[in-house]
Amino acid sequence: MEHTGSPLPTSASAVRTKRKISKRLLRQNIPLYAMFIPIMAYFIIFKYYPMTGLIIAFKNYRFIDGIWGSSWNGLDNFRLIFGNDQISGIIWNTLKLSGLSIVVGFPMPILLAILVNEVRRSSFKRAVQTMVFLPHFLNWVIVGGIVLTVFSQSTGAINHLLDAWFGTTFPFLYQPWSWLAIYLGATVWKEAGWGMIIYLAALTSIDQSLYEAASIDGASKWQQIRRITLPGIMPTVIIMLVLKIGHLMEVGFDQIYVLQNQAVADISEVISTFMYKIGIQQAQFSLATAIGLFESLVGLVLVVGANRLARRFGQGLW
Amino acid sequence: MTGTKGEKWFYRANGLILTLVGLSCVLPLVHIAALSLSGKFALAAGSVGFWPRDFDTAAYRGLFLEMPMLQSFRNSVVITLVGTTLNMLFTIMAAYPLSKRYFLGRKVYSFGVIFTMLFGAGMIPNYLLVKSLGLIDTYGALWLPGLVSVWNLMVLRSFFESLPEELEEAARIDGCSEWRLLARIVLPLSLPVLAALSLFYGVGQWNSFMNVLLYMNSSAKWNLSVLVQQLFQNREFFDEMANTRPDLAVILTPEGVKAAGVVVMTLPMLIVYPFLQRFFVKGVMIGAVKG
Repeated sequence: MEHTGSPLPTSASAVRTKRKISKRLLRQNIPLYAMFIPIMAYFIIFKYYPMTGLIIAFKNYRFIDGIWGSSWNGLDNFRLIFGNDQISGIIWNTLKLSGLSIVVGFPMPILLAILVNEVRRSSFKRAVQTMVFLPHFLNWVIVGGIVLTVFSQSTGAINHLLDAWFGTTFPFLYQPWSWLAIYLGATVWKEAGWGMIIYLAALTSIDQSLYEAASIDGASKWQQIRRITLPGIMPTVIIMLVLKIGHLMEVGFDQIYVLQNQAVADISEVISTFMYKIGIQQAQFSLATAIGLFESLVGLVLVVGANRLARRFGQGLW
Repeated sequence: MTGTKGEKWFYRANGLILTLVGLSCVLPLVHIAALSLSGKFALAAGSVGFWPRDFDTAAYRGLFLEMPMLQSFRNSVVITLVGTTLNMLFTIMAAYPLSKRYFLGRKVYSFGVIFTMLFGAGMIPNYLLVKSLGLIDTYGALWLPGLVSVWNLMVLRSFFESLPEELEEAARIDGCSEWRLLARIVLPLSLPVLAALSLFYGVGQWNSFMNVLLYMNSSAKWNLSVLVQQLFQNREFFDEMANTRPDLAVILTPEGVKAAGVVVMTLPMLIVYPFLQRFFVKGVMIGAVKG
């Protein structure tokens, strides 16, 4: 913070004033610290202290020995992870699902925002927003429930229609490619509308006279969107893309857990669900922690790297 | 404002596309609601679209009378109300000092807080901590680890920073203490953003799923999310009910019961949705301005 308010002490009286100020400063800080000490305790206990638990990634953790008492086994857990085809497959799945989610899901909110921004009747605009924001507030259990109901082979509406029209049904949830399509579709359905908000905010900052001038010069709607709208929201687009890439290693637990089934395990198992299975359900705490640590570290590198990249465009997050 | 012919077509196509997109967000829910209120034979025939056929409330009777639905509902309400209150209390207590330039060590603490967004211990160390604190199977395991969302904290801090300093100075000259300043001046001025954050936290608590799955071993502690997920994942619930209430089992289908479960979970959200909508856009915008 800049110290513009306090000039250099030049005389004894000035020194005294400064001491008085700092005493006042201390007094002012007492209530702030009274407020903040519980917060510090919270962050230390629930955020920083568990990080010490990460050392069990380099140990053979046994519950009776505890985190500190368990024996070290060096990099054995990591050797197991990277030497195991199943686990590397799971890491690969994670990258694949989240990469595809970005490719499919990232442009949607931008497109939606541009279309909504072009709506002239404000009542219609509000109605559309009300509808497309809704799925964001439903959790994955609800979204998963809807998906499982609609796409079920024996009782789902889609298959009833297929049966009525073509006399055949399809196991959408049990074929890898259709499962993937459904997974991506559900992600887009849930978040595309909500993701639009940030771009709508960016769109309002574009100078409207640009459009008027372009219109008078005979620019078509398409040209206006390409030459005015897109450049206008580009900074926001870059920031959002950086954030997304920073989270490339994360595929949320809930969405996979509610949608996956044995038949598509090869493609649907990701780091978070795998950690739950081997860590919580099978009590292989060390191995699960090692995978988690790997995920967190790669995530950290990605966020920092992506931010570097964004800074080059003058859009860094910090 | 009359545009060229091309523009007219653009607006028409745009309206059509957005109508379809909007409907696609709402119709699946309507379909599920219709399923939950339809009779057994209509469900089996697959003839239910967006309106119930052979109207029947058996699925709901089955859910509330024969399954721990009411209990889970109550659990969800308790988790949400207490959780949100704690969230707000601690977020305010964190945001206020961090918004003050004279708060000693502010930079260090800000970094310490933001760093937890970039790097975390992860599922297993957190689980072991909760376990060692003896919080397994208590709601403390849900409330304590997620007490403060760093994102929401940053939103509130930016908002506090944006309040005019003159107000504060004036209050201070009048002998107002820091606590009174917060309670009488800062918080009342922040009501819209506080409402937005409470709603965000509330939705998060109501929707919590993984933590309940991780930390609540006994099914009596489950919230709606986990119960509804169980309805979908295994048939046990349904079979159990079929054993105890054969009369209900005759008129019930698993599909109807599952759909009813989804509706029960969604309905409270739909009821608060209009209020949500008034505030959340504002909340997101406040966060967006500062970036």
